[in-house]
Amino acid sequence: MSKPCPLSQQYQAPKEGGPAIELVGVGKLFAGRDVPALDGVDLSVPHGTIYGILGPNGAGKTTLMSILGGLLKPTYGTARIDGHDIAKGRAAIRRVIGMVPQEPAVYPTLTVRENLDYFGRMQGLSGPHLQNRIRACLDLAEMGDYADRRVDQLSGGYRRRLNMVIGLIHEPRILILDEPTVAIDPHSRSLIHQRLRELHASGITILISTHYMEEAEQLCQHIAIIHHGKVMVQGRVPDLLAMQRDKSIQMQFENDPPPDLAARLRTLPGLAEVHVMGRCVRIAAEHPDTLMPTLLTELQARGLGLRSLSFGNSSLAQVFLALTGSTGAPK
Amino acid sequence: MMATLMATLAKFGASIAKEARILGRDRQALILFFSMPVVFVLILSLSLRDAFGDRPGATFPVLVVAQDRGEVGQSITQTFRANPHVRLALSHDASEAQARQWLMDGHYRFVVLIPAGATDQAKRRLGEVLAGVPPELRLEAPVAIRVLADPALRADYRKVLESSIDLVLHGVEMRLGRAQVEETLRVTQGDHFMPLPDLESARLFREVQGETVTRQGRGQTPSSVQQNAPAWTLLAMFFLTVPLSVSFIKEREQGSLFRLQTMNVPAWVVLGGKAVPFFAINQIQMVSVLAVSVYVLPLLGGDRLDLGNAPLALALMGASASLAAIGFGIAVAMYARTTEQAAGFSSAMVMIMGALGGILVPKAVMPPLMQDLANLSPLSWGLDGFLDVFVRGGGIADVLPEAMALLAFSAFCHGVGILRYQGRI
Ligand SMILES: Nc1ncnc2c1ncn2[C@@H]1O[C@H](COP(=O)(O)OP(=O)(O)OP(=O)(O)O)[C@@H](O)[C@H]1O
Ligand SMILES: [Mg+2]
Repeated sequence: MSKPCPLSQQYQAPKEGGPAIELVGVGKLFAGRDVPALDGVDLSVPHGTIYGILGPNGAGKTTLMSILGGLLKPTYGTARIDGHDIAKGRAAIRRVIGMVPQEPAVYPTLTVRENLDYFGRMQGLSGPHLQNRIRACLDLAEMGDYADRRVDQLSGGYRRRLNMVIGLIHEPRILILDEPTVAIDPHSRSLIHQRLRELHASGITILISTHYMEEAEQLCQHIAIIHHGKVMVQGRVPDLLAMQRDKSIQMQFENDPPPDLAARLRTLPGLAEVHVMGRCVRIAAEHPDTLMPTLLTELQARGLGLRSLSFGNSSLAQVFLALTGSTGAPK
Repeated sequence: MMATLMATLAKFGASIAKEARILGRDRQALILFFSMPVVFVLILSLSLRDAFGDRPGATFPVLVVAQDRGEVGQSITQTFRANPHVRLALSHDASEAQARQWLMDGHYRFVVLIPAGATDQAKRRLGEVLAGVPPELRLEAPVAIRVLADPALRADYRKVLESSIDLVLHGVEMRLGRAQVEETLRVTQGDHFMPLPDLESARLFREVQGETVTRQGRGQTPSSVQQNAPAWTLLAMFFLTVPLSVSFIKEREQGSLFRLQTMNVPAWVVLGGKAVPFFAINQIQMVSVLAVSVYVLPLLGGDRLDLGNAPLALALMGASASLAAIGFGIAVAMYARTTEQAAGFSSAMVMIMGALGGILVPKAVMPPLMQDLANLSPLSWGLDGFLDVFVRGGGIADVLPEAMALLAFSAFCHGVGILRYQGRI
């Protein structure tokens, strides 16, 4: 993926003390694969923020988080968490981070409480403090009534909630969550969002991956969009939205557009770039407002019905689409 | 430093408790772990008893029908009574037909028929011989002592029994002849005849003493129960590598193993937490098999296992065999990708190591080349150690080499497992 990305050059990393998490040129090449899963990722997560890693399936989100969690070694590059190098400062890093893996990592034949108890003890907790933490985690997940149920008798959504609070049992200062809201109902999702905001308010740094644009937009102060293992753009959410504003036109057709559409549109004056993805078309133009009438006439002449048209967008989804050429939505 | 150690030990304890809880919730598996070796030992010790027949502790039932109550009947009965491999039943009045029926019904494996008046008939024939009656003119035929044998009785055992009867009869011939000659001398020379030398007590040759020399130069071969009890305990112990490796891989698939890797939990805590409950199961397996072999097997007509007199040596063997098995399971788990792979590979390997190591077929009956190959199998080391105690009366010093070999194997496997867990190999 070598599409030029004008945004990343304009972006300036915020200067507010040392970052909580910092990646410098991190790459990961899995054995037997010719394309890298991560390809020179530079990332800087300031303390006390909710930082979103946005990317479609296979973008490299889990790979990135596994490297931070010490489960994978980067093929090249370095990373620091809370000032500790991931290659040398593992023990110190483990004390400050809490990891929430993408798939629930729990013991199915143990109860909810037994899972919390075991992982709590593995984090070095014991005695009344451990009991308090277990109670607090059950409350956070609103799972008090399920405490003594075996995990294999829980629904998937509850399993995910448990999975998340296990990552919180030892009150980490840096929380790393890999797609915590996939495959759960709106109530559970908003519960998780609410909890993450509370944690953020208490000063915890949160790194969260997702492929839901709205989620990133609502929850995060900073995001990085990664695609094919590369960071396409990173920065504050409002900045990213502002940069993209007024520069493109998004259209969705009722039917599949003819294959030569892109070629036809490129002949229009004042049009910089056309990108067709199925029934979605994105057009970049220096002055979209002056282009608009010509464009609509052209489409009408070709008998193409529009389902939606937006212009001067302000949605991350469109930033995402613009950058990755994919909707990011599950297929 | 001390605090860190205590904290790590607390994690170790919690890991053991967690694993024990998970195992405890799998009742079917537990029942299988404990019943499998016991059932195997019962079935195989009972059914293979005869294959190990002529071995210490093994006996088979013999009926002597001594219709003759004279010297012939008594001598033969005496010999069988003194034979440790024989459980003797004596009858004076059973008929041949009855004896045949009992044999066919499986009550006896070998029947000796001594006809009524055998002693008298022998004496009469002796009289004719001493009187110089030529063979073709003698009236008395030689006495016919007959034996009936179960066709399943191994031919070599039958031969041994038959020749022991022949030996007894030679002795009887000699005693009867001497008595008869003395009688003649008394008649011709009066009470002051010159006595004959007591040839019988002047034995020229000592009784032949057998001694088996195995290639390792160590005395006897095991009896059925001596072979089977440790063999199946070891196999059951090593079979625990299947659930052990599967449970590891499940934990990896469930992600909890990765989760632990993001925490400050040393590899030895994770691996040891799993190993300890399995070690306990192994020890219970061994104790239950030994208990069954000592207390239950004799009730079912099998031979009682003699545990020897080195309980510490047995404990050492049990512990080191278990550690070897656990190490193997961990190494398999760290390399297998799926539970199917782990289960398939470890069970196949255990069967091969078992077959090679003299578990399925005793090493003593293997040809030399196979005996050499057998020494490659950890199960063979384990079995040798147990046999040192059961058969050769060995103590802790005698089982040390085998225990050390098992511990070295265990250390190697654990080392490979830990390095792999830490992602270093
Ligand atoms: N263990 C592995 N061996 C080989 N390739 C891998 C491995 N793990 C991931 N990959 C590849 O690396 C790339 C990135 O995968 P990754 O799991 O990081 O994506 P992701 O962004 O988390 O996707 P998703 O949204 O589906 O979770 C993919 O092409 C994937 O096939
Ligand atoms: Mg992922």
